[in-house]
Amino acid sequence: MSEQPMRRPATPMLQQIEDRPGVREMLLGVPVPFKVFGAVFGLVGALVMAFIGYLVVDGRLEGEWYDVRDLGLAVQSLREWLTDQGVDHRITWIITGSIGGIGIMSVLGGWLLIGSWVERRVLAKFQIRMGPNRTGPFGLLQPIADAVKLMSKEIVIPFGADRFLYYIPPVLIFVPAMLGWAPIPWAPNMNYLDIDVGVLYVIAISSIGVLAVFLAGWSSNNHYSLLGAMRTVAMMVSYEIPISLALLSVVLLTGSMNLGEIVAWQGHYHVWVIFLIPFAAFAFLFASTAEINRTPNDIGEAESEIVAGFYTEYSGMKAGLFMGVELGHAILVGAVMSTFFLGGYTFFGLEEWVPGYLILATKIGAVYFLFVWLRGTLPRFRLDQLMGFAWKFLIPLGIIQAFIVAIEASVFARSDAPALITLGAFGVVNLAITVVLVRFWADRLGYSPAQHRTVPTLVSDGTLGGLKAAQKIRAT
Amino acid sequence: MDSTGIVIGFWVLSGLSVVSALLVLLARNLLHSLVFLVVTFLSMAGLFITLSADFIAVAQILIYAGSISVLMVFAVMLTPLASRDNGNSIYLLPGLLGGLGIAALVGFVAVDTDWDERTGEGLAATDFPGTVNAIGDLLLGRYVLAFEIASVLLLFALLGAIVLVHDRPRSGTAASEGGDD
Amino acid sequence: MTTSAEPFVLNIGPQHPSTHGVFRLRVVMDGEIIRDLDMIVGYLHRSMEKLAEERTYTQNIPFTDRADYLAAMTGNLGLAIAVERMTGVEAPDRAEYLRVIFAELQRIASHAMANGTLISDAGAWQTPLLYMFREREKILDLFEMTCGARLTTNYMRIGGVSFEPPAEFWPALQELMDEMPERTDEYASLLLDNEIFLARTRNVGIITPEDAINGSLSGPALRGSGVPWDLRKAEPYCVYDRFDFDVPVGTVGDVYDRFMVRMEEVKQSVRIIKQAVEQIPPGPHKNDIPLALRPEPGEIYSRVESPRGEIGFYLVSDGTPAPYRFHLRSPALINLTLLRELGVGSSLPDAVVTLGSIDIVLGEIDR
Repeated sequence: MSEQPMRRPATPMLQQIEDRPGVREMLLGVPVPFKVFGAVFGLVGALVMAFIGYLVVDGRLEGEWYDVRDLGLAVQSLREWLTDQGVDHRITWIITGSIGGIGIMSVLGGWLLIGSWVERRVLAKFQIRMGPNRTGPFGLLQPIADAVKLMSKEIVIPFGADRFLYYIPPVLIFVPAMLGWAPIPWAPNMNYLDIDVGVLYVIAISSIGVLAVFLAGWSSNNHYSLLGAMRTVAMMVSYEIPISLALLSVVLLTGSMNLGEIVAWQGHYHVWVIFLIPFAAFAFLFASTAEINRTPNDIGEAESEIVAGFYTEYSGMKAGLFMGVELGHAILVGAVMSTFFLGGYTFFGLEEWVPGYLILATKIGAVYFLFVWLRGTLPRFRLDQLMGFAWKFLIPLGIIQAFIVAIEASVFARSDAPALITLGAFGVVNLAITVVLVRFWADRLGYSPAQHRTVPTLVSDGTLGGLKAAQKIRAT
Repeated sequence: MDSTGIVIGFWVLSGLSVVSALLVLLARNLLHSLVFLVVTFLSMAGLFITLSADFIAVAQILIYAGSISVLMVFAVMLTPLASRDNGNSIYLLPGLLGGLGIAALVGFVAVDTDWDERTGEGLAATDFPGTVNAIGDLLLGRYVLAFEIASVLLLFALLGAIVLVHDRPRSGTAASEGGDD
Repeated sequence: MTTSAEPFVLNIGPQHPSTHGVFRLRVVMDGEIIRDLDMIVGYLHRSMEKLAEERTYTQNIPFTDRADYLAAMTGNLGLAIAVERMTGVEAPDRAEYLRVIFAELQRIASHAMANGTLISDAGAWQTPLLYMFREREKILDLFEMTCGARLTTNYMRIGGVSFEPPAEFWPALQELMDEMPERTDEYASLLLDNEIFLARTRNVGIITPEDAINGSLSGPALRGSGVPWDLRKAEPYCVYDRFDFDVPVGTVGDVYDRFMVRMEEVKQSVRIIKQAVEQIPPGPHKNDIPLALRPEPGEIYSRVESPRGEIGFYLVSDGTPAPYRFHLRSPALINLTLLRELGVGSSLPDAVVTLGSIDIVLGEIDR
């Protein structure tokens, strides 16, 4: 028995991962027709880009309908052309309105089609695994397979559920995720709903989601659902206030509640609001994760505690809608965050060259990546910690921050100094005040980092024993 | 009010709000009637939109549909052993009387007011900017005193609520807690 | 605020993401606070102890794999040592070293699993768990190289171990041991500066030393409370008295301390394995023993330190090849008994994290 046959691991996962072809090998392994196609495609693309660049330099694109940097111009030209043709203005409005609506719907729908794949692949990279890679090329068809699976499943209605209310939430929760896109400006002339109360609109629309969550939890007749619903409702109500305060600071500084004007203001001064009011940006980001139920604030559907929270009892595509709306909310928050704090469609003058909607999409992607990063990294808060953080920390500091920004805004309106100096001073002052306030407030709340992080005592021979030994160790 | 779309919108929205308001009364389940109440609030917001009052419309959604309804949810959920059906109560008669009184008042005002109605050319001539600036000017200009009084009142209400529900630490035992948040 | 919702009964489990198996908690909740808590076990009962009475001692070793399926090696070891003490059979020196190496590898794998699932219970969507699975995977590969199985190893024998590790085992082990300190440091840097993790685990689920001893806890749950008790030191079996290692103990007795004790024990296990690899003598890996062992009539209670605590075997012999009575003292079951005291009055998330920190394995609890 001493001469054992050599045994190799049957599932050498790590070996397989190491043996996978690198990027270079994968590129070399592409079939020739694809290479030729790719080369032609790239060449044509480069030519088109060069041509557009020429047009931009030449100034010939300015305000024309074929200006690809701003699709809103095309719609406006279409509207004017239709009016010139003598088409009734109601029909004109219906046509142009549907174009915008279809645009927004296709952004959201396309994202739902691809989003879960993106999320799972990115998360897999964080977790040193591969993610879905079996269905279609790179696993790209995985969301479709998931959707088909969910749709073919039986829809179970729990015993004792409130049948009337049970059907509403999966649909109702999509309403804010879709309507919220309306005021987001994708380019100077490219926002669907150009209203003066854009900020209020965003907050108002997001507050409708609370009701869907509550109804889902209530109507399911399940204690997990009810717990999840009550947690989510309490959290959403609390975190609406920090969000409002953060947006109030932005509104005070930029002097407008119109989202287009807020972005234009940032583009005009070539500065992002996040540099001017970092605390507001942080408060908004943190509160948004609470509003849309993402880690670290996903206590409403805390898997390890209350299974799936408010949608525990939903099955089939109804559950799929709840999961899909999470993705939709994530990019909506990314868009709102980019618009208010990250300069929207502007990028320090690059928007003259690159279509604004591409810049905004990139920023949305960046914020979304941050969300996935947080999800892959952080544990979850407890409900009381989360509520305490909102009421004891974010709200008082948010009020102080808004007050300071109000002073700064009035200074800014009255002073004749160059914007670079005043805004730079505001940024430095706000950052300093934030740091001081956060430290002071954390001290007041009795929090100090030093009290954490201890290491266990190491006991070697001799001191082993029971209670007396324990007391002896504790005394030292 | 000359556009067909607006007219259709007005009738649909007003029908919706009246029907759902009736259903608030008639629904047997308290939560159902809460849902209908939200529908009423939302259709009211839609009515404001048909009147181009964008600020009021959004505020209606934000405050009534978003917050007041959640407040009612909490009221229902946090009341121990509350009967959750929309049954009869001793307030039926006073409620009806109060409602009738309010309806009469609103009707009287509506009939009595001399509405400066503009249609067609007259409406187009009125340059109608967003209502936000106008409301802001009025609140911080002509009606600043009322605005400030209201805000101070609300502040005191907030403080009063905190004082009412604040659980005082009994002889300093509970005060030593905290520090982990 | 003095308002409170009506208390309601919540059934956590038997199918629930954070009960680590088919374990049921029947809790009475008042809002988010747990007012009462019943632990209901037995869903995985397979009548192991009764079945064991029909089989010979060697045939019973696979049952210990399936009892604590996350630490099969220490279960094997416990039974093998118990029968050896009963019959006077001795294992060769090399086998004792191999036993130590595999038991400590199993401890690392089990602690990785325990700490990973603990953070998953705290809500960190499985990332730490999957990181810790890296090492566990390599250890299971080592097991597979040696005895062909990854989980239910059935490796220890009465009077030795079943197989000599193949030649490729030793470099692989050396490589793993060389990278382990790096990995533990990586976990420390990823987790211990994370404020959310600290906020969720510090001062949660505190077990005082008195409670721990009164509840007869053992293992990291006991040492986390500050009681320096480790069977490897207190009554050394195998060749543990020839190694230089320390016993980590916590200070507060909270979830964080139990987590940290496990992290530190992994480091100590690496120390032990390195020393064992240096000292291991050549020789046979197994003594020949009769096919059917017939111990003298009598009884024995023998215990070893499993990753979860003291795993004890109470064997009664009537002189036949099969035990008259076969009892397994499950450390996880006895550690679990304190959950009611810890859970009542705390909030649901805290109770979940506390349950995760106790590190139960249902196969062992229900047997």
